[in-house]
Amino acid sequence: MTGEHPALALRGLAKSFDGKVAVAGVDLDVPAGSFYGLLGPNGAGKTTTLSMAVGLLRPDAGGAWVLGHDVWADPVTAKQLLGVLPDGVRLFDRLSGAELLAYHGLLRGMDPAVVDQRAAELLDVLALADAGRTLVVDYSAGMKKKIGLACALLHGPRLLVLDEPFEAVDPVSAALIRDILKRYVAGGGTVVFSSHVMEVVQRLCSHVAILAEGTIKRVGTLEQVRGDRSLEDVFVEVVGGRTATGEELAWLSR
Amino acid sequence: MAVPVTAPANRVRPVSARHFVRLKLRVMGNNFRGQGWRVALFLVGSLIGLWFAVGAFFGLAAPGLVGDDRYALLVAAFAGGLTVLGWLLLPLVFFGVDETLDPARFALLPLSRRTLVTGLFAAALVSVPTVAVLLGLSGLVVTAGVFGGWSAALVSAVGVVCGLLLCVAGARAVTSAFASMLRSRRVRDLAAVLLAVLAASLGPLQLAGVAAIQDTDWGRLTGVATVIGWTPFGAPWTAGIDVAQGRAWAAPVKLLITVVTIVALLAWWSRSLESAMVGAASAGPTRARPGVTGGVVAQLFPRATGWLRRDRFGALVAREARYWWRDARRRANLITIAVVGLFVPVMVNFGGQGFTFDSDQGFSAAGESSPVLVSLSMLFVGLLAAVTLANQFGFDGSAYAANVVAGVPGRLELRARITAFSLYVLPMLAVVAVVIALVLGEPTWIGFMAGALVATYGAGLAVNSFVSVLGAYSLPETSNPFAMNSGAGVVKGMLTLLAMVATSALAAPMVLAAALLGDAWLWLGLPLGVAYGVGAALLGAYLAGDVLDRRQPELLALVTPRR
Ligand SMILES: Nc1ncnc2c1ncn2[C@@H]1O[C@H](COP(=O)(O)OP(=O)(O)OP(=O)(O)O)[C@@H](O)[C@H]1O
Ligand SMILES: [Mg+2]
Repeated sequence: MTGEHPALALRGLAKSFDGKVAVAGVDLDVPAGSFYGLLGPNGAGKTTTLSMAVGLLRPDAGGAWVLGHDVWADPVTAKQLLGVLPDGVRLFDRLSGAELLAYHGLLRGMDPAVVDQRAAELLDVLALADAGRTLVVDYSAGMKKKIGLACALLHGPRLLVLDEPFEAVDPVSAALIRDILKRYVAGGGTVVFSSHVMEVVQRLCSHVAILAEGTIKRVGTLEQVRGDRSLEDVFVEVVGGRTATGEELAWLSR
Repeated sequence: MAVPVTAPANRVRPVSARHFVRLKLRVMGNNFRGQGWRVALFLVGSLIGLWFAVGAFFGLAAPGLVGDDRYALLVAAFAGGLTVLGWLLLPLVFFGVDETLDPARFALLPLSRRTLVTGLFAAALVSVPTVAVLLGLSGLVVTAGVFGGWSAALVSAVGVVCGLLLCVAGARAVTSAFASMLRSRRVRDLAAVLLAVLAASLGPLQLAGVAAIQDTDWGRLTGVATVIGWTPFGAPWTAGIDVAQGRAWAAPVKLLITVVTIVALLAWWSRSLESAMVGAASAGPTRARPGVTGGVVAQLFPRATGWLRRDRFGALVAREARYWWRDARRRANLITIAVVGLFVPVMVNFGGQGFTFDSDQGFSAAGESSPVLVSLSMLFVGLLAAVTLANQFGFDGSAYAANVVAGVPGRLELRARITAFSLYVLPMLAVVAVVIALVLGEPTWIGFMAGALVATYGAGLAVNSFVSVLGAYSLPETSNPFAMNSGAGVVKGMLTLLAMVATSALAAPMVLAAALLGDAWLWLGLPLGVAYGVGAALLGAYLAGDVLDRRQPELLALVTPRR
């Protein structure tokens, strides 16, 4: 069946905006059952890559396959296997959290009884049940991330693609999300997520890819990429950023 | 040692209105960058504006060019007054205001309110409509100059400029006030009523206008014009004529009236601006309905959609139905349909009766409200209702991504959106048909009127399904439901026009039938109209859904606001 296919395969994905290259040919194989971290500095093209991988943004070239199903040629099958938490995208935020979950569940063709049961559990576990009938537009940033995650998980996808799931989330909720994701992977699911938090990536991931200037600079299992150094050191080396300011910005400390 | 950073007060350079104008021009320019079609649309819009401006210019200069100073005051007072009225009402009902510079973006800057208001005001002056109005109404300067020489022309020029300032200040103050009212839960419904009253007041005005055209008693009309000339509506425009006609003392008083009004409007604007700036985070939050028990699925479905199956279609309809009520921008559109839908037919049909009533020379044949005239007015209402969906995906913005990720089939999507919108609109159309028929005293007309309404509405839905998929544009994420991106005004106008023309063509058979079939149409109108409308809407959703399936990511990119 789909066993021999990688959970997510990207081949030559490229995209430029108004002549400015954002992603310059990304090849990536995400093995089924892996916990895959995508790292990269701001503007590296992580969001753009993930958007193209899940069918939100049409690539200029290249393709994406979810468990062997072409996202762009056979979107219906591919999208059924996918759960997505996009970044910088609004939710249908004039619904309450419960309404939003019901909407997503039914949109995925789930049975209403199952939606009811799973949504209640998710709201409870993610500590969103207290928000009651508050509309999502009035949620805090972290709460919005959490409800977005709940929407992505609800239909039990085989592959989760999460863009910065830990951004703006408090430590307790982050631990909770880590637990949920670990259990999900242990149960045979696959997670791809982008993050800026090295510590989380180090703790969770089995595989890592570092993206900079629209191309993959390092890729492999966590051990391969890290070697015997810390992930942060590798990242800084790859990205080639400055680590300290000298005489500039002196006016800040007057 | 680090000390708290303090602003070096002596080195802060003052911010002036000039900066705001430059900022607006820069933002407009950046919006055009790399988007050839936007530039093209902007040029087309400017040319249309110029065309109308030139027409207005010669119209208003006509009394001077012809040399007949009887009409000078009349033209100035009525044309100017209508211009002011249009600037006040049209943004609310149809067009919105250009909010290239969203006031909320300035909330964190250390600017005094006076600086902010004058700056935003100056920036608001930089737009195609203001230039067009300035050009068009300069015709008055010519007229004043012909009759009163240089001094009158000068006063008239000052008056026209002041009048333009008045128009812009009025438009900003009124939309901003209504926006903050629509945001607040407490007075939201009051705002709707006020809007209705405003639109309703157009009716009597129109009757007065029709009567005036009939009226050969120029003396009496001049009296009305004189009165208008002393209100803020006419004061700026008539000052020059007053000088020309030897009432020089009136000019300074009228200019004073204008300036005081402008200042008052700016003060009013500045007050509601404050609320727009602090309340910017959320655009009209509404609490979800309390007291629903049961699972999350039961909570999603509003009571009126209880009959729907709990599946994809049902979920889409329920979510859309909730959005039409909870999103201030969409609700403003619904209010417009209700208000305009009732009053335009009344005006059209009673304007006709006004003709017969007042005239004793030959208008009587065209005067009596006829099935054709009624069908035409119904056509307009159906058009207006359907064209609300011309940018239905723009309302969602980037939230539409959820549907793309879920892979919702295009046909299902469009059918669900049409269904949800119709939950609101069809009852309104029914009310329109019944009320207008009763007001006209022709209860037997209800059937074919409703038929014409549904047929036009259905045809309009078909057309607008295509327009919404192919011609979507993003709406700014602000708290002002009347706000539009720069350039979007032109896009919106062109698309609306296109959709309306296409819909009229599709709905024309209903009017033809009303004209040709006579009494049989009284009975056939409803079933045929409904069948035509429903069939057109379904066919439209079917065909446009196919296009949507191929364009989902592109559509998402179009409606995602660029921040
Ligand atoms: N819609 C767009 N139009 C134009 N340029 C874009 C658009 N979206 C992204 N870009 C550009 O593409 C590049 C990659 O952006 P992207 O959002 O993918 O970065 P990222 O890796 O997700 O960054 P971050 O860590 O800050 O989220 C950036 O240079 C950005 O300016
Ligand atoms: Mg990103």
